Amino acid sequence: MGTFRIKNTDMISALHGVMIVVIAVVTLAVGSLALYFRMRDMVEKSAYRQAQQNIDNLEQDFTVVAELVECAVRNNLWSAGVMVSQPDSLWNLTQGIVKDNPVIFGAAMALVDGDFSPYAYRDGDQIISVQLATKEYDYKHQEWFVEGLKADASGYWSEPYFDEGGGNKLMTTYSVPVRDHRGRVAAVLTSDVSLDWVSDRLVAIEDYPYALGMLVTRTGSIMATNPPNVGLTGKNIVAVAEDIPYGEGFTEVNRSMLAGEEGTRIVELNGKKYHVFYDRIKRTGWSMSLSIPEEDIFSEVDHLNSRVLGIQLLGIIMLVVILLTTVANQRRLMRANEKKHRIDSELQVARGIQMAMVPKLFPPFPERKDVDIFASLIPAKEVGGDLFDFFIRDERLYFCIGDVSGKGVPASLVMSVTRSLFRTVAGHEKSPVRIIYTINENLVEMNESEMFVTFFCGVLDLQTGHLRYCNAGHNAPVIVTAENSVALPVVPNLPLGVLSHMSFVEQEADLTCGAGIFLYTDGLTEAENHDHALFGEDRMMKTLKADVSATEMIENIKKAVHGFVNEAPQSDDLTMLYIRYLNDTPMEKTERHLILHNDIQQIPQLAEFVETVGGLARLSSSVTMSLNLALEEAVTNVILYAYPEGADGLVDIEAIIRKDEVQFIITDSGKPFDPTAAPEADITLDVEDRPIGGLGIFLVRNIMDSVRYERLDGKNILTMSKNLL
Amino acid sequence: MEVKIIEKDNVLTAVLNGRLDTAVSAEVSAALQPMLDQADKTLILDCKDLSYISSSGLRIFLTVRKAAAAKGGKVIVKDINNEIRQVFMMTGFLNLFEIQEG
Repeated sequence: MGTFRIKNTDMISALHGVMIVVIAVVTLAVGSLALYFRMRDMVEKSAYRQAQQNIDNLEQDFTVVAELVECAVRNNLWSAGVMVSQPDSLWNLTQGIVKDNPVIFGAAMALVDGDFSPYAYRDGDQIISVQLATKEYDYKHQEWFVEGLKADASGYWSEPYFDEGGGNKLMTTYSVPVRDHRGRVAAVLTSDVSLDWVSDRLVAIEDYPYALGMLVTRTGSIMATNPPNVGLTGKNIVAVAEDIPYGEGFTEVNRSMLAGEEGTRIVELNGKKYHVFYDRIKRTGWSMSLSIPEEDIFSEVDHLNSRVLGIQLLGIIMLVVILLTTVANQRRLMRANEKKHRIDSELQVARGIQMAMVPKLFPPFPERKDVDIFASLIPAKEVGGDLFDFFIRDERLYFCIGDVSGKGVPASLVMSVTRSLFRTVAGHEKSPVRIIYTINENLVEMNESEMFVTFFCGVLDLQTGHLRYCNAGHNAPVIVTAENSVALPVVPNLPLGVLSHMSFVEQEADLTCGAGIFLYTDGLTEAENHDHALFGEDRMMKTLKADVSATEMIENIKKAVHGFVNEAPQSDDLTMLYIRYLNDTPMEKTERHLILHNDIQQIPQLAEFVETVGGLARLSSSVTMSLNLALEEAVTNVILYAYPEGADGLVDIEAIIRKDEVQFIITDSGKPFDPTAAPEADITLDVEDRPIGGLGIFLVRNIMDSVRYERLDGKNILTMSKNLL
Repeated sequence: MEVKIIEKDNVLTAVLNGRLDTAVSAEVSAALQPMLDQADKTLILDCKDLSYISSSGLRIFLTVRKAAAAKGGKVIVKDINNEIRQVFMMTGFLNLFEIQEG
């Protein structure tokens, strides 16, 4: 029984063995074959994915650069239109564009009438201006000018070209037509951008040593390749038919690329197969292609396969096991690496953009004794889109702080746009609410990603300590004095980029000598320690002290946060800005401001405002009423006639009270109109001959002691004063 | 701003109460339409409670005055305060209207 059993067992065992072997051999043969194809398939897919990602990344990088440039140019369009009639001011305009935008290499404004085209460009740390219109260089026949004139408001990106003057760099030019006040195209405004970085990024796939990446213009010129020195640059893809790998087999690809299509193709040439991936940058119409020889893609798989076939059963079994685990691991690893690479490079771009856009030099105004400023922006690993900025114009300090919702490249892009809008708008507006209103209109218009920005903007008159501010959904800054630290009262308002035509509210305060204003983003109060406790406002308030320098103040807070958070990772950007007002002999003058929409129903607000001013200046009720009358006449004029019917517009009323006079400055950006040029009303006529209108300006002239009109920077400015002595 | 029209013995009286500024001028102008329609009668603009008038208000007064001149009526402005009197002086309206006190 036992033997039988053993024998039986043996037989079964042998049978099993053979069966196992046969099954194993068959299974393994089929399996290894299947595995071979599966791996090929997998590797091929991975190559496709990587190629697609490579092209997508490049397109995304270009989009970031292009949006920065387009925004910078468009922000200056309006000023450019005004300056057409004062060509000398264009030297400053072009200089300013290059100076404010690190990504722009050069900027030019070229007039349609006459030969005049100032051009500013970067040379190391300097910005140099030259006249482009010379005998040798006829700008009116250049692509950037001719196409720029024809372009619509979204502008025109030129074909990439090699700039012979600038060290043979690969460049492209963005051109936009400039309209003068009559709406006629009077000039072209351009910005040049270097494309040198493109060639490095065309192929970043190290596993495929024989891959070739190309950047091709709309007309088929090859502008950059990677590897760079294959002798294709400058040639046309159609003309290089005999070159390898761009030979005859590529005719179809060439045609498809020239037609602006995208796709993947397998092309056979001289017995070799190539996988070609190509795509188009929609914004410019350029195409990118990446061709990888098939043997490059599958070399790894083929190598493995020959080993698989050579190894015995057990080996194969082990190999299968090993392969299966390796495949799984490799796949995971490959995915992880890819993702990490992409995120890392994306974060680098984001951080680069963010840090390029905030002031870095401290103290910023070493020659000034009346203001002390320090700031700090510590980006989180995954950039959060914080921003701050400040500058002094006409003895006023313009400053802002903001926080873009979202993270990464998109947030940093919105951040940089917001900051350049602030620079541009605050460059010619005095009122924080107007600055915020204009930035908001621009952000709403271009904000497709539905991001928003919490933002605080202040304008501090350094001569008087008077602070005007407007808040758009940001944390209230803190006013720090020797007595205490209190949050500045703010109307919350909505953040920027949410709704257009928002009525933001402007507020005012006065800083005494030695007082400071501390601005921060929620990265400070919401800094977390390991137990997820927040740093919070109380700790912040306790750390704020009036008797230290701005630098010490920020350092103290940094220390406090660091001590609290310890080693816990920072999850959001942390930004702080501290401004100390140190003018101990402020000028005796009081200011009040009011901003109205062009709606006649807002007139009662004006009356209230004049009452307040009358009270501050201690005027009698009859003088206050006559001022009220004069103001109503002047402002009604603007409300009714400055802006086209149905269009939203603003009127800015500024009251300045001095010892001996009250002055009102009424500003609007409507069509040019000089009310002082209206004819004098004849008040001696009798009833039949008296015209119904014409009394408004007459009243203003009679009530006020001086009335002056100016047209400046595209604005109507009516200044009127009443003597008090 | 409130406007009330009282008709009595062939005399139309408009009682004006509040601030006559640009924001309310269209409304006031519409309320005074009966005066323009009956401009052959005696029209009284009662300004006892009128605190303020702007040029758009003056314009309405002048329109009423012109209508009366055309149709043979008469306009009396009653009880204007000192500030409004100043405005009337400045603009020559004192010579165009019959002003009554009390």
